Amino acid sequence: MSAAPQPTDPAWAALLPLAMIGTERHAQGLPPWPGAVGQLVAQAATGAEAPAALLRTAAVLATCGAAGAQGRPWPHPQPDSALADTLPTWPDGPELLTAAWALHEGPVRLQHALLSALSQGQRRLAPALLPQALDLGRRSLALRPGLAAVLGERGVWLAAQRAEWQFASGVSAEQPADQIWQEGSLEQRLALLRRERQADPAAARERLAASLTDLPARERAACTAVLTEGLSLDDGPMLDQLRADRSGEVRQAACALLLRLPQAAHPKRAMARLAALLSRERVLLRQRWVLAAPEAEGSDWKADNLDPVRPKNDTLGERAWWLYQLVRQVPLPWWQEQMSLSPAELLQWAQGGDWAEGLVRGWRDVLLAAPDTAWCEAFLDHWPAQLPNEHPTTLQALLPTAARERHWMRQLRDGSVPLHTTVVQVLAASPAGNPLSAELSAALADQLLARAQARQLADEHVLRNTLPELSAALDNAALERLAHWPRHADESPGWADTLHTLTRVIAVRRALQTIQNQQPSPSP
Amino acid sequence: MSLTMEAVLALAPDDASAKAARGLTSAGKWPLLGANESAAWGECQGSGSKPYQTQVDLAGPAFRCSCPSRKFPCKHGLALLMIRAQEPQHFKEQEVPGWVAEWLASRTEKAQKKEERLAEKAAAPADPEAAARREAQRWQRIEGAGLELQRWLADQAAQGLGALNHELLQTWHTMAARMVDAQAPGLAFRLREAAAGVQRGADWPERTLQRLGLLQLACEALQRRASLPADVQADLRSTVGWPHDKAEVLASGERVQDRWTVLGVVSEERDDKLTERRVWLHGTTSGRRAWLLDHAFGGKGFEQAWPSGSSVDAALSFFPGSQPLRALCAETPTALAEPLWPSDALAAEWDRVASRVAANPWGGLHPLVVADAVPVQQQGQWWAVAQSRALTLELSDSDGWVLLAVSGGQACTLMGEWDGHRLRPLTAWHGPTATPLWQRSAA
Repeated sequence: MSAAPQPTDPAWAALLPLAMIGTERHAQGLPPWPGAVGQLVAQAATGAEAPAALLRTAAVLATCGAAGAQGRPWPHPQPDSALADTLPTWPDGPELLTAAWALHEGPVRLQHALLSALSQGQRRLAPALLPQALDLGRRSLALRPGLAAVLGERGVWLAAQRAEWQFASGVSAEQPADQIWQEGSLEQRLALLRRERQADPAAARERLAASLTDLPARERAACTAVLTEGLSLDDGPMLDQLRADRSGEVRQAACALLLRLPQAAHPKRAMARLAALLSRERVLLRQRWVLAAPEAEGSDWKADNLDPVRPKNDTLGERAWWLYQLVRQVPLPWWQEQMSLSPAELLQWAQGGDWAEGLVRGWRDVLLAAPDTAWCEAFLDHWPAQLPNEHPTTLQALLPTAARERHWMRQLRDGSVPLHTTVVQVLAASPAGNPLSAELSAALADQLLARAQARQLADEHVLRNTLPELSAALDNAALERLAHWPRHADESPGWADTLHTLTRVIAVRRALQTIQNQQPSPSP
Repeated sequence: MSLTMEAVLALAPDDASAKAARGLTSAGKWPLLGANESAAWGECQGSGSKPYQTQVDLAGPAFRCSCPSRKFPCKHGLALLMIRAQEPQHFKEQEVPGWVAEWLASRTEKAQKKEERLAEKAAAPADPEAAARREAQRWQRIEGAGLELQRWLADQAAQGLGALNHELLQTWHTMAARMVDAQAPGLAFRLREAAAGVQRGADWPERTLQRLGLLQLACEALQRRASLPADVQADLRSTVGWPHDKAEVLASGERVQDRWTVLGVVSEERDDKLTERRVWLHGTTSGRRAWLLDHAFGGKGFEQAWPSGSSVDAALSFFPGSQPLRALCAETPTALAEPLWPSDALAAEWDRVASRVAANPWGGLHPLVVADAVPVQQQGQWWAVAQSRALTLELSDSDGWVLLAVSGGQACTLMGEWDGHRLRPLTAWHGPTATPLWQRSAA
């Protein structure tokens, strides 16, 4: 940070030409100064040779200047201060350092847990932690919604002071809805829209429709995605309108939502296109389903968001690409209804045909846009060879919590997958902010503690790296069991460091439990 | 002494030590762990056959370890305190083993001996005549150097600052070295500071001329030193860099017993791993301000902790001088419940500064308490605005944003070090007895 250049003090301005050129070459002597300082200068310089007189004058001016310095006049109006907050703050005292550690170095899940516990406990973040928390929000989009809920008036005011924190400026979360919609940050507006969709989907739709022309593309796309809440056929016309948006991101978000509305006009057209390509064929004594790829692109494709131009380096051929385009617009239940096959049977059928890659990729895209438990399970149980570079955790994340955890419980029981792989899957597929179930937490804690007890963790680098994050995801009972992690004299410095972090995570989570269990007292 | 992880980490000489210590926090690595109210000790299994014996006197805290590490405190000492902070239940032993008792006794004995030595030294200098002779010789050397510096300054003024270039500035450093040779390191420091400021910042000619002017004043004062009052002579001695003997200060310095509130503390890394700590105090009854200056080398901690906002009952011995700020703590201070912050108006604070500058124009930093100050950030610069005037703040961005966050744009009381141009804020608070709202982070 550089200081603003300071204008030369007028008391010195007269002396500087002499000082810069030197008394040898400057014909004129010292200028007079007014007042008491002038008298002192004159007295000091009397009888001295020119260089000494200059230096003595400088000494007098320096001393008088230092004695009389009182800063500079401030002509600007005082900036507005933060509005008063009503919610009490957390943390205070020694817990401030613990929370600062969590925000600075703690696992991401712990940061989510901290913000969520504060919000649930009706607290706001202590002012001293606001800069750190806003910096965290600047780097992490995922943390912003949680952060917005605990900033309070002080945090919103502070965010408005710095360009990098504008994402959190706007209005306090306690302001009226219209004001939040007009002046709030994007995160605040999305949260408002989500709440309104839950309570009155039509009103929220109208609010968004009225503002669409004013919103930039990124915000239109984010708001469109919120329509998932309370989605119904009534949203069809608006989604059709958004399919024609000038932003690709918005068009994609609208098409993804239409996949959840099989009765809407757009998916119906898509289903009709595919129905024309699907037929039954007799082979020996039985019939089988046969899928053909389109022979040519349709004239209405572009209007229906189908992209007929195959990217140069894509592994699909042109017809397969066209088929892929058609498949990714058809809701998955259509296939089951049309062919009377289960998702697992459909995957198996696809493998036997000519267009397996286009089909599998299309289904995968639809699955990601409109998750379906049976299809996820089928993909996870029979992972298609056409998706060699994709990670199953993406689909595990789409499963409902119970189904997801059943999957991992099975892995933990039968030992078919290494423990560290299961832990990585659990962390990748479980959203931050939702603790794992008591059953899965206990099973993970059992295995971890058993291995620690048997000293089998020395070379488990993945487990070592993921333990802090996992400890932030476990339920409270399992977490307390990890507090009694067996320590050994010969453990490596790396493990000791990790276990030290574990004790800090446990300390933070214990503090968070306290605020969740306490009723807040009014703000001082 | 209550320990937190953060307090222990603050004692670590560097990050590597803290990290290494974290690797030793398993109680399993410590066959023996014990503690009582004044000390903690443990045996840590190292690479050798015999465990290292680590002990901490909690009063300091002071450390001792039988390991060969040159770091101080070593990782074993830090780890011992970390375990104590996080898992005190492992410290089962209460009976002090011989090696701990011996060390604690030797520390007490050493402290006593030190006090006795100081008392003896103060009571009877070894050879007063020889000491006076040595002192006179040193003054003679310094006065000679002052005369030489004065002639050199006149040359600079005659030639002008506009002609200065890198080569000419080398002669400034040569002259500074001559000052060091003549046992006037204070003059050398000021000259080097002036050289460093040349062509730095828009106002460098003015700042350089100020520095040279004050050097001229010091040189002229040296020439008529004998005719100056004793207090001014003492200021001059500090200015040329001839420190006053601490034993003498403790024995015969002005002693002020008071309830002292710690206004602010700042620790700064100097060259060669030297850490300088400045503690600024305010006496509730006397209204005096005081400055404690300590140095620690090679990451060693300071014996006495002075947390900002704490209040102690203590006797301070002031160094000689016209309006002295620097003092020594004459006895172990007694901690009191809560701070009693000064509540002087800003005008009175400026009067104190003016009065000190008038008495000693070479004085460096002034403690300044700015009541009703609003921290403001404008175009990358931090300001404290009070009574329609603004002081430039010397503040890192991270500290500045926290200060702004805790103030909420409202007025608070800001205490800092004023160098005549900028305020380096150290502490902020609201109200007369509240704990600090904000403290400057360690550099």
